[in-house]
Amino acid sequence: MSEGLVQILDGNTFVVSDSRGDIEASLTDPTGLFSFDTRFLSKWILTLDGERLNPLSVDDLQYFETRFFLVPGTGTVYVDAKLSVIRRRAVGDGFHEELTILNHDDKPVEITVRIEAASDFADLFEVKDALKKQGKYSNSVENGSLRLGYSRETYRRATSISSSAPAIFDETGLTLVAQIEPHGVWTTDLDVVTAVGVGGTYTTPKYHRKGRKARPNMESSLDKWLEDAPRVESDWEPLKSTYRRSLVDLAALRFAPPVMGGHSLPAAGLPWFMTMFGRDSIFTSLQSLPFTPELAATTLLALGDWQGSRLDDFRDEDPGRILHEMRYGEMTAFEERPHSPYYGAADATLLYVVLLDEYERWTGDRKLVRDLEQQARAALAWIDEYADLMGNGYVSYKRRNEKTGLENQCWKDSWDSISFSNGEIPGFPRATCELQGYAYDAKVRGARLARLVWKDEAYADRLEHEAADLKRRFNRDFWVEDGEYFALALDSDGKQVDALSSNNGHLLWSGIVDKKKAKAVAANLMGPRLFSGWGIRTLAEGEGRYNPIGYHVGTVWPFDNSFIAWGLRRYGFKDEAAQIAAGILDAADYFQGRLPEAFGGYARELTKYPVQYPTACSPQAWSTGAPLLLLRTMLGLEPIGDNLLIDPVLPQGIGRLELLDIPGRWGKIDAFGRGRVHVAGRRSRRQLGLAEEIMPKQKRKNGKKARVTA
Amino acid sequence: MLRKATGVLSFDISDGASTAHWSVVLKKGDVLVSRAHDEADCVVTTDRPLFDGIVRGEKNAMAAVLRGEVAVEGDTELLVLFQRVFAGPAESVRRREVAVAGRSS
Repeated sequence: MSEGLVQILDGNTFVVSDSRGDIEASLTDPTGLFSFDTRFLSKWILTLDGERLNPLSVDDLQYFETRFFLVPGTGTVYVDAKLSVIRRRAVGDGFHEELTILNHDDKPVEITVRIEAASDFADLFEVKDALKKQGKYSNSVENGSLRLGYSRETYRRATSISSSAPAIFDETGLTLVAQIEPHGVWTTDLDVVTAVGVGGTYTTPKYHRKGRKARPNMESSLDKWLEDAPRVESDWEPLKSTYRRSLVDLAALRFAPPVMGGHSLPAAGLPWFMTMFGRDSIFTSLQSLPFTPELAATTLLALGDWQGSRLDDFRDEDPGRILHEMRYGEMTAFEERPHSPYYGAADATLLYVVLLDEYERWTGDRKLVRDLEQQARAALAWIDEYADLMGNGYVSYKRRNEKTGLENQCWKDSWDSISFSNGEIPGFPRATCELQGYAYDAKVRGARLARLVWKDEAYADRLEHEAADLKRRFNRDFWVEDGEYFALALDSDGKQVDALSSNNGHLLWSGIVDKKKAKAVAANLMGPRLFSGWGIRTLAEGEGRYNPIGYHVGTVWPFDNSFIAWGLRRYGFKDEAAQIAAGILDAADYFQGRLPEAFGGYARELTKYPVQYPTACSPQAWSTGAPLLLLRTMLGLEPIGDNLLIDPVLPQGIGRLELLDIPGRWGKIDAFGRGRVHVAGRRSRRQLGLAEEIMPKQKRKNGKKARVTA
Repeated sequence: MLRKATGVLSFDISDGASTAHWSVVLKKGDVLVSRAHDEADCVVTTDRPLFDGIVRGEKNAMAAVLRGEVAVEGDTELLVLFQRVFAGPAESVRRREVAVAGRSS
């Protein structure tokens, strides 16, 4: 997000403005009122007696509400203003703005208040790619309101603007006259309402029909959301604030897809990715399961509803495939973009089954597992029938939509993310290693559900047999013998794409790694080429394409690290998992509790602070979820039958960690963790830092086990 | 928890002057189609050429809804579930057949 821009949102409706509250968008400028991937307002400029205002301060009240304090006058010298202006704006289905003018003078004043309004009805994709519109605009004044309209064939969108105080409307805005007594106050309520046309009529938002003001749908639920989540107590204060930040951001990232009757799932990122993404919604649901399991349920249902059912090259759709991304804008409507929905992800389908099983293990909700049996079976069938593009028994990807489809269909989706050690880029199809891990895990978990819930022994046996076979082949074909790690991918000739990457951590998480190989994999992850001191780099130092500020070729991703920590725990490397948690949580503290999507892969001792990678969206859902998953891994929470196993190993610097009221099949339960050594009188440090004795380089060579606690 | 994927869809398909009515009952994966006028949870209104195109896999239902060519009122989840029965583009199926044949050879 650019400097100085203010954003508020509710679901996928959001407003981005400057610090005066004004919107002055161009086709490429990302300000405006957006809803369902369409810009409904591109100009919204307030003047008093023809003059723009100066911002004094902006008060972000909530993620859906903000207040701008303004004074008239231009120039740099502060004028002792006789007037001040407050714009209080809340997002609902459109937005509501309460405009207040205070007269500080002892004389009455008469002011001409003008608001210029316009809309370009740009699709988000057009804003990103600066494309031209094809339809017609029509503005009209009717019944004391201004209606901005756009149509292209049967596609219609409109914005209507009204005011509670008497106003004169024209096709470019509205004018009001404010007469204010000495020390008096004048106010008006402005409503900006978005509308979508269907078959010649418009659907009007619900509040409009009932004569209510635009207001957020989620205001009342934020308090309840925070109240319902488990509580964190710790002697390390930053953990508590990071946790709270994560919960509030997760609330803001909730998105209720139109088909889900008001239930929410995590969208990918705010504001540009406020939509359903298969991969991001699933990963975030996995991270937040011990805290807010209802997000996982909605994710499973919504993605299940939209599961692919046919072959469609334009959408890269196959039967059983789980969607990648859904969009609602004009370019999607006219099939200039394939997002209705688009299915080009190779991992979402596998992760769907993983989430379904993990959800049952936490919640015991077998009804949902029964309801989604068909979807889970179709997802599992997709692995062998549609994802094995090379006929070699491995999941691989190659887009069929060569114009607007995605080239890289794994989470590292930038063009150069998959490379050989020497920097060369392989052709397609590509079978990246983590996909095989997810496929293995999906089959193992699918077998568990088949046995437990669907009561199909033969199916369970078959899945287990296939999983075992995949694991055996994978450990043979992907293992880079001389480096003792797994290759990033196999190329179209079955050749190892041999760069060392963080993907090895996801393999631990999936369970596909042979026990006897796990130690070497963990040593590589915690070694100096991958571990920066803050976290594990996406690509190891020394690889041809390594770049500490390259998107997927050297930066540290908090989401990636949270799953790696989970993977390390799965294979018993508890201290190493705690070490990752320490690094990422220390970084979180630098970012005021809000972890960015990625930060620089520079060694910690070099920069002393984490260097943020510039990204468009903040917060990002799976970065928001990372501290949650790290809490789980530090406490060693694992559902076993109807019980929750608690096996805490805390990083140095945390003496006490309590997670209270963890929801699940056990009702609510508390988890307590203590640092293993108590040092009398020692205060907990601001940072968890690096324990002296875990500089992994030296220790690993001696073959000793790394230790985190003194 | 969320509501079950069960309900009644009503299709009103206009063809020039006349409008054909179909009722689709979804019950946990089972589909029953009739001319009955059941009380609908979701009403879908469109015209004959577009509807035929969607059924044959030449048009995409979701994109048509976004364009405003198909009007949907009520529980849209039912339409999302029902549109799965429609075919995909014939060309995509042919390409897949060629690809699979090529792979195994």
